[in-house]
Amino acid sequence: MRRLVCVLAAIAFARGAAAQDDHNPAEQSVARKDQGEQLAAERTAQTSNLDDTSEKRASLEIATYADSDNVTVFTPSIAASITNVLQGASLRGRYIVDVVSAASADVVSTASPRWTEVRHAGSLEATYKPSTFGVTLAGSLSSEPDYFSFGVGSEMTLDLNEKNTTLEAGFGFGHDDIGRCGAENSPAATPNTCTSFGVFERTINRTSFNFGLTQVIGKATVGSLVLDLGLENGDQSKPYRYVPMFSADVAAQAPLGASYAWVTANRLPERPLEQTPLSKRRLALTARLAHRFDSSTLRLEERVYGDTWALFASTTDARWIFDAGKRVAFWPHARFHGQTAVSFWKRAYVSGYTPGDPTSWDLPVFRTGDRELGPLWTATGGGGIYFYLGSATDLQKARLSIQIDGMYTSFLDDLYLTSRSGLISSVSFEVEL
Amino acid sequence: MKKIVLPLALLVLVPSLAACTHVAPYERGKLANPTMSEAIGDGPAAEHVYAVHEGATGGGSVAASGCGCN
Repeated sequence: MRRLVCVLAAIAFARGAAAQDDHNPAEQSVARKDQGEQLAAERTAQTSNLDDTSEKRASLEIATYADSDNVTVFTPSIAASITNVLQGASLRGRYIVDVVSAASADVVSTASPRWTEVRHAGSLEATYKPSTFGVTLAGSLSSEPDYFSFGVGSEMTLDLNEKNTTLEAGFGFGHDDIGRCGAENSPAATPNTCTSFGVFERTINRTSFNFGLTQVIGKATVGSLVLDLGLENGDQSKPYRYVPMFSADVAAQAPLGASYAWVTANRLPERPLEQTPLSKRRLALTARLAHRFDSSTLRLEERVYGDTWALFASTTDARWIFDAGKRVAFWPHARFHGQTAVSFWKRAYVSGYTPGDPTSWDLPVFRTGDRELGPLWTATGGGGIYFYLGSATDLQKARLSIQIDGMYTSFLDDLYLTSRSGLISSVSFEVEL
Repeated sequence: MKKIVLPLALLVLVPSLAACTHVAPYERGKLANPTMSEAIGDGPAAEHVYAVHEGATGGGSVAASGCGCN
């Protein structure tokens, strides 16, 4: 095509030059020069158009989450990407807003008003992979009145054996600044009620490494294995979460899912803030398998997890996507997560006056009311459907997806709650520009 | 923890590699189907819900920022 353009440009230039030969030689010279420059510019423009093999895509997602613990989240997000397959370069960006409204028992043990908080988050990722070796650089920001965090990372990939095997290694660093808003007992996160980060601030530094292997297992099967290592340093305790204390006799009798009334009637007057260990080491191993049948695709994922707080977990995710013609596909989705409690987990913590000092309390060093650190299991089930809305020759130019999942969590050793039901739904629209 | 992870890794990895066959580029029509990629699945909102509700993490991006869930 380039050759054709060059030949056409040369012919056009020659014709233009011949037409100018009948005029004043000086004017002819200037005219030829002008015309030559114009043709050269047109040719450059044409060539540039021909070279623009990039694919530009944009997407919009609207998602909602609501659960029986009085938490609702509304999450719109937009994303865009530009990919040049021939040059091996791509750039992806995303902006997301979380509007969280809650009156959850997660935060306080006494009645508190419903609060609303808005989180803004963005991420940018650039990849350059001209041949078998590629590098990705990524960054992300997340901000809300009482929490700010950023993360940067890099990942390298190497294709081997005609792309039958891909190795990847990544490194990431994240920094979180945790603040505090609203009156005591209530994260009423309006900016004018927030304590300045200069007055109250906790920081967490997170370093992560991952190593992965993706392997083509057959003509219709691909699998991958990713090992994640995470090092977290800093105080992750929630600045709003107070932990009720009990005498030893009462703690032994604390019923599963004890009500507010029971806790209020039986707890000791001291009500300290949550305190968790100041460092954590995480390890996760994730295996994925995808298999394409004649008219459906099965995707499986299993993650096993352990950390130095002695929390061990297993998460299994399965999705089976069925084709329903060329334009439509639908899928059932199932997910199961189970975990043990951290080593310092107690349904009811025991405290009392310090021996010999009736003015101070002998508190457990580590204490938490975070149910996500306790023993639990969650079953998720639902499904989704997508429609390709492009033309007959380019079906994938636009896609509309709808997904709904229900979640049921059983808390096995907690105060206040024994279970939680939730619903996640999303609608997304993606188009090639 | 090492006692658990290493055997699990070997359990998954060794049979997978042993079962592999070399697939030429022109034989990858099924592998190239869009449904084989992670593009169809949980969006960013669902991933965030899972990250907050599960006391485990991993398998995602190395550059993710904090959960902002205090």
